[in-house]
Amino acid sequence: MDAFQGLLTGFQVALSLEGIMFVLIGVVVGTLIGMMPGLGPISAIAIMIPITYGMDPAPALVMMAGVYYGAVFGGSTSSILLNAPGISGTVATAFDGYPMAQQGKAGKALAIAAISSFIGGTVSVVLLMLLAPALSSVAISFGPPAYFALMFMGLTAISSLSEGSTIKAMIAAVAGFMVVTIGIDPQTGTQRFTFGNVNLFDGFDFLIIALGLFAVAEVCMLILNRKNRSLSDDQKLGSLKLSKADLKEMSGPVSRQSFVGFLLGVLPGAGATIASFISYIFEKRIAKNPEEFGKGSIKGLAAPESSNNAATSGAFVPLLSLGIPGSGTTAVMLGAFLVLGVQPGPLLMTDRPEIFWGIIASMYLGNVFLLILNLPLIPYLAKILSIPRPLLISLVIMFSLIGVYSISFNVFDLYMLLVFGALGFAMRIFSFPAPPFILAFILGGMMEQAFRQSMTISNGSLSIFVDTPLPLSLLLVALVSLLVPAFLKWRSNRLAYKQR
Amino acid sequence: MLASINRKLGLLIFIIAAVYLYLSFQLPNYEYAPIDADVIPKGLGILLLVLSVFLFFSRVVETDAEKEKRNIPKKELGVIAAVFAMIFVYILLFEAIGFIITTALFIFFCSWFLGYRAWKTNILVSLLFPIVMYAIFVFALGIVLPRGILPF
Repeated sequence: MDAFQGLLTGFQVALSLEGIMFVLIGVVVGTLIGMMPGLGPISAIAIMIPITYGMDPAPALVMMAGVYYGAVFGGSTSSILLNAPGISGTVATAFDGYPMAQQGKAGKALAIAAISSFIGGTVSVVLLMLLAPALSSVAISFGPPAYFALMFMGLTAISSLSEGSTIKAMIAAVAGFMVVTIGIDPQTGTQRFTFGNVNLFDGFDFLIIALGLFAVAEVCMLILNRKNRSLSDDQKLGSLKLSKADLKEMSGPVSRQSFVGFLLGVLPGAGATIASFISYIFEKRIAKNPEEFGKGSIKGLAAPESSNNAATSGAFVPLLSLGIPGSGTTAVMLGAFLVLGVQPGPLLMTDRPEIFWGIIASMYLGNVFLLILNLPLIPYLAKILSIPRPLLISLVIMFSLIGVYSISFNVFDLYMLLVFGALGFAMRIFSFPAPPFILAFILGGMMEQAFRQSMTISNGSLSIFVDTPLPLSLLLVALVSLLVPAFLKWRSNRLAYKQR
Repeated sequence: MLASINRKLGLLIFIIAAVYLYLSFQLPNYEYAPIDADVIPKGLGILLLVLSVFLFFSRVVETDAEKEKRNIPKKELGVIAAVFAMIFVYILLFEAIGFIITTALFIFFCSWFLGYRAWKTNILVSLLFPIVMYAIFVFALGIVLPRGILPF
């Protein structure tokens, strides 16, 4: 099936009454959750998973994709209005968006953000459509060693690119992998670390980990910040209208950064956060008047906004075509696929074209919805920011508990949610990044399987990973991605240490 | 010797890794499996052990932002502990008393405890949220939530 025909199939899914409705629900809910400071796409997707039980996979996944990029979109609203980014991918948005809001130009800032996101999102969906099938057809020939090497590369990339200490990121990744080993080993039937507890035989459901590590941990942070400001009713939004000069000014950054964002989204480990920062710095470097950046520059707002949305669609490339998530958020997205009985990967396009193309087609539609929603409805949507924090905290706790209970109907899992919530909170306090943990948890089972398959093929010889060029080169990339940032960080730390 | 926070964390993680590794060595072996169930756990245990040593000896200086994050007043930790205790009680009573009543009570008391004093709105939300969620899950999605002592 060529791309054009595939896309037609996809639009049949996306433009059916059911499709339109679920895309709309997805982007609205995603936007609302993404707006709430502290709550990001990971929590949004995890909270929404129980709603999809019993739905057909195609509309359910179209909705989840909408939740994902809707949440990235929504994050910019709280960045601009409150200087409190909903997600880390919109931190750079606040640099110039919040100063604009303080100057009484919040409406204009929101309009620039909406248009930049729309263009960034749309450009990258086109690229996704072109790139994902090509990658899928290559990936069909991948054997277990290449898959293992690919997943290993994804894991090292996200660990080395995480903010803060690389060692702590690697510890988080190893810990996530360790949690996967709890339960009955699917290949030999051996009980591992279950201590005879029946509740642990199947291991932990990923939703417990995702909601605990992210939603419950975020609740703890919300409790600490519960007295922070929320949007007051009298804050002026100002006009949403953009002049021709404004549009001209943002056209350069938007057209460049849509491509930059997409490429960074495709790479494992990078994602929306890094994409938005790189785009911001990039535009500041080449700007004629860099001193305006940080004081309400249109360029400084348009660049990260187009970039973070482009990265979001870009992250779907490895997920859809290889079945391998490149970030914490896409790892949770993969969990959502698996809950619905869909295995993303090279075979998805041929086996389930309605899902593969349906998601891509729905993204075109979703981007249009987001633009329509966000321009005229912004003043109304922004009202959600005035929900009192204590009430918000109680409701998020409830959503998490209901979500976990409705997967297993087992109270034991609810206690485990509390345990992982406490772990997630501790990880935040002591600066261990959570995305490597969730990514290792999602990839761990697959990696172990691929490793053992490879070793069975090679009769127990590790040389299978270096005999053929593909796994070898992937492992070398993994090694480089681990060593280079580690070396750079080590050098800068040494300099800092010497200076003290 | 344990002055820096990384040293304390490194030691804690070292102990966890050692316990995990000990348990991995207790796993049974099967003769005919080329790669048995204990290989990956042993590898992970060793890796974590090595990483904990790296963390212990790393000279990385904590940034001010990281210190700030760790600097939480005892009173606030108490508030978080109290919320966790409330969740614990909620889970304990959840199946016996039922979803609607426990959820309504939880939302009301948790919000009130965290400083939400608009009690009329609070009562309204506490009642509406569980009823709407119950209706969506039980009647629309076919997912059964505990009915408890209520008749429906």
